[in-house]
Amino acid sequence: MLVIGENINASNRSVAEAIASRDREFLQSLAMAQVTAGADFIDVNSGVGSDSPECEPATMGWLVEVVQEVTDKPLVIDSNSPSVIEAALHKYRGERLMINSVTAELKKLIPIGSLAVERRAWVVALAMGANGIPSSVEGRLAACEQIMTHLTQLGLEAEQIFFDPLILPVAVDSAQGMVTLRSLEQIKSRYPAAKTVLGLSNISYGLPGRSLVNRAFLLMAAYAGLDAVILNPLDAKMMSIIRVADMLTGEDTSCRGYIRAHRRGILVD
Amino acid sequence: MTEDILALIKGNVIQGRVTQDDEGFDEGVVGQPGVSELTEKALARGIGLRDIINKGLTEGMDIVGQKFEAKEYYIPDMLASAEAVGAAMEILEPHLAKSGIKSKGKIIVATVEGDLHDIGKNIVSILLRGAGYMVKDLGNDVSPQTIVAAVIEEKPQFVGLSALLTSTMIHMRDTIQALTASGLRDKVKIIIGGAAVSEKFAQSIGADGYGADGFQAVRVTESLSSSKENKGGDHG
Repeated sequence: MLVIGENINASNRSVAEAIASRDREFLQSLAMAQVTAGADFIDVNSGVGSDSPECEPATMGWLVEVVQEVTDKPLVIDSNSPSVIEAALHKYRGERLMINSVTAELKKLIPIGSLAVERRAWVVALAMGANGIPSSVEGRLAACEQIMTHLTQLGLEAEQIFFDPLILPVAVDSAQGMVTLRSLEQIKSRYPAAKTVLGLSNISYGLPGRSLVNRAFLLMAAYAGLDAVILNPLDAKMMSIIRVADMLTGEDTSCRGYIRAHRRGILVD
Repeated sequence: MTEDILALIKGNVIQGRVTQDDEGFDEGVVGQPGVSELTEKALARGIGLRDIINKGLTEGMDIVGQKFEAKEYYIPDMLASAEAVGAAMEILEPHLAKSGIKSKGKIIVATVEGDLHDIGKNIVSILLRGAGYMVKDLGNDVSPQTIVAAVIEEKPQFVGLSALLTSTMIHMRDTIQALTASGLRDKVKIIIGGAAVSEKFAQSIGADGYGADGFQAVRVTESLSSSKENKGGDHG
């Protein structure tokens, strides 16, 4: 499973402060810590200053430069604004990259999809439209179908699309765990070439023992066909469960990855 | 006897039991009457509506709020309790209409433009209804113009705005500015909340209050209600 490190996100207060004060060292060490912990991709989200949305593209461009000074890991450009993504792509010199994200809302899907075609980028596609997250499997699949149609028309390959079936908290609606898992299964069966991704932590919102719930859901999602996950790679217990998931779903030939992790002493029970 | 039924209503609100079939927070209560059955029983006994609401439902919900803040209760516990209060209010509604008892006030709630996150806003709506407010929910991704139009149409005393994203919280400021430009700012108290915002941000955009969670939102609304009475601000 591909691990996308989520830590460089302006919704984390310390990161927002580091971006505001242009603290390169803080952000670079956060990038390196995630790489060391085993992240395959580094997500970068620069947010907006509350007073100056017009500065956002420049801020994102700066953040991309800062992070790629210390790592060659591919970046995930985390924004839903075409101008911010464009600014990031302008500064980005790596080959592989991912854009996070589009929805079925056409006025953003088309410009962002076009940027992805131009740069041969992977795209995270959220299973929702302009009216929010559908509460049913059918609603989420309808959004995926629209996205698939438009992105392939633009010239994107199915392999470049990472569908995110989305998670609503089970604390609010206990049916939502299965809605996500069934959507995941259906996406894999309808578009076998496409990939899937989830941001896990929403599942446990409002519950005690959140990391326990997140880990259990990761295993269930792995069985349902999850290819990538957006999370905090500094969470050693979660990273251990991912190694277990890879092994149990047959992705870890001769269990070598798992045993190697054991020998290195990085498996945490 | 009256006291017993009211105490049972309160206790079952705390347990979050809508009907006799519900499990509740503690074990071993399935089969005993829930808030719905007890409310019907209270009405049949001729217990006053105000007593049912104040001594049964509201007192129960206050304790739920305390338990939530003490981290003994989690969101599912709180939602179950709010659902029990909602079920009771539905039973009481026709009687309230007849008796002429008024609600505590009307509040319009919305997740602001560009933001589709409505879970927090929905929780606040449920709790406000449970506390006796009339809630008009405009949904998510609601533009400042739509909110202005709704304030003109609905004449609420309060407007509640929610935003989860740092990229959308500025639309709270836009909404407040639009209300000011339309001459409506002094007609309503504005309360904001959501993961992106803070007390400091609320002050910086000229909101009247900030709720860090659902119960705080209700408390802030209550305290603004009393200050509003003092000022006597009203739609002309």
